[in-house]
Amino acid sequence: MSEIIRYSGLRKSVHGRLLLDVAALEIHEQTCVALSGRNGVGKSTLLRIIAGLESPDSVTVSYQGQTMSWRRARRKMRTHVIYLHQSPYLFDSSVTDNIAYGLRCKKLSLREISRRVSEAMDWAGIGHLQLRNARELSGGERQRVAFARARILSPRVLLLDEPTANMDSEARVQTYRMIKRLKDDGVSILLATHEFHTVAHLCDSHLSLQGGILQQQAVGTESADLKVIPYG
Amino acid sequence: MDSLAAATAESFRLLFSGDEALWVIIFTSFSVSVKAILLAVPVAFVVAFLLAHLRYPGRRTMVAGFNAMQSIPAVVVGLTVYLVFSRSGPLGDLKLLFTHTSMVVGQVLLSFPLLVALSHAAFQAADRRVWETSVTLGATPQRAFLTLIHEVRFGLVAAVIAGFGRIIAEVGCSMMVGGNILGYTRNIPTAIALETTKGEFAQAIALGMVLLTLALLLNGLLAFIQGRGVMSS
Repeated sequence: MSEIIRYSGLRKSVHGRLLLDVAALEIHEQTCVALSGRNGVGKSTLLRIIAGLESPDSVTVSYQGQTMSWRRARRKMRTHVIYLHQSPYLFDSSVTDNIAYGLRCKKLSLREISRRVSEAMDWAGIGHLQLRNARELSGGERQRVAFARARILSPRVLLLDEPTANMDSEARVQTYRMIKRLKDDGVSILLATHEFHTVAHLCDSHLSLQGGILQQQAVGTESADLKVIPYG
Repeated sequence: MDSLAAATAESFRLLFSGDEALWVIIFTSFSVSVKAILLAVPVAFVVAFLLAHLRYPGRRTMVAGFNAMQSIPAVVVGLTVYLVFSRSGPLGDLKLLFTHTSMVVGQVLLSFPLLVALSHAAFQAADRRVWETSVTLGATPQRAFLTLIHEVRFGLVAAVIAGFGRIIAEVGCSMMVGGNILGYTRNIPTAIALETTKGEFAQAIALGMVLLTLALLLNGLLAFIQGRGVMSS
């Protein structure tokens, strides 16, 4: 699998405390990587940096083998990387408007937007919700709208921050199915979780964040007896 | 008592018979205040957004400054604009004193701190995810800003209503920089003040009823909008 993005020497301090000290992190094509670690260890901050929503103190970024400035890398990431919050934010408008948002930003024709929105709604199984206000939906439905809204933009990398937190078991299963289908569609996924065993079946590799340092873990083992390999 | 009743009856007659002098005053009031609010709102929203979402030295002092400026008396704003536009003032050559333009400038200055303070509160209360979601879905900063405005629209509309309410009813600034010229710069509050001093209560009562109706409508609208905001949050 070829490398899409590589971050080297990524450091981030928060209120004077070093939160992240990542020697290297690579995201490869069509892979699903789990990022585990306890609450507050910096998983969300790492995802937000990868998405370009936060700036690190220092980092070297290379995109498809080409090293570039953080400023340029951030522009790239905003085109190719989509970050989904733990609790996705849906705009105060219809489900259709929410899903079409990114396409409208790209200034596609109304006809093309309409075609792709209905395809995305079919993909997520939310065609019956199209005229509903997105704020009125249940947690599981909101997650499906958020996934459809991300998928419609054909991202290369999708960053999922605890996507099944606070969900009932049925909604969890639906979310896992969508993650699997996104992976099958060729989207690379980096998935933050504090319960790796719940997403182990989806993931090709497992990174653990401890004390700001990223370590490769062997997939298929339980968190209690992880085989720790220094990463990067 | 009889004269008050007669004046009230006359005020209704003036209002509903389409008295030209009265309706010119009402039109002047709305024309000046609508222009002022249209000019002030876009700039105030941008300033409020920058105060709410950027971190830079002096930001909190600026927020406190805008909050404090809300309580500057209208007559002091009027005096300042008067001095700037008077013949010996720095912009005296523009000959704008006692014109609609000087009234609009005065009302922009009056409404601006209130608009900034109230819209700052709305932007500050906005969910951080609105901006982040817009950006991660490919929105430019301008597009993300418009999306944020849409998401906090109830708070922003409340700010605009409060700003409009402040300037449509103010006397001091309009009197000083407009000069209360009949058929040109005389607006509702300055006309009420003048007619009352002359003992001509009919027109003053008619204009007072217009202001009261407007105040009730604006407050009703505000209550409705705030209700919508709570329901949709």
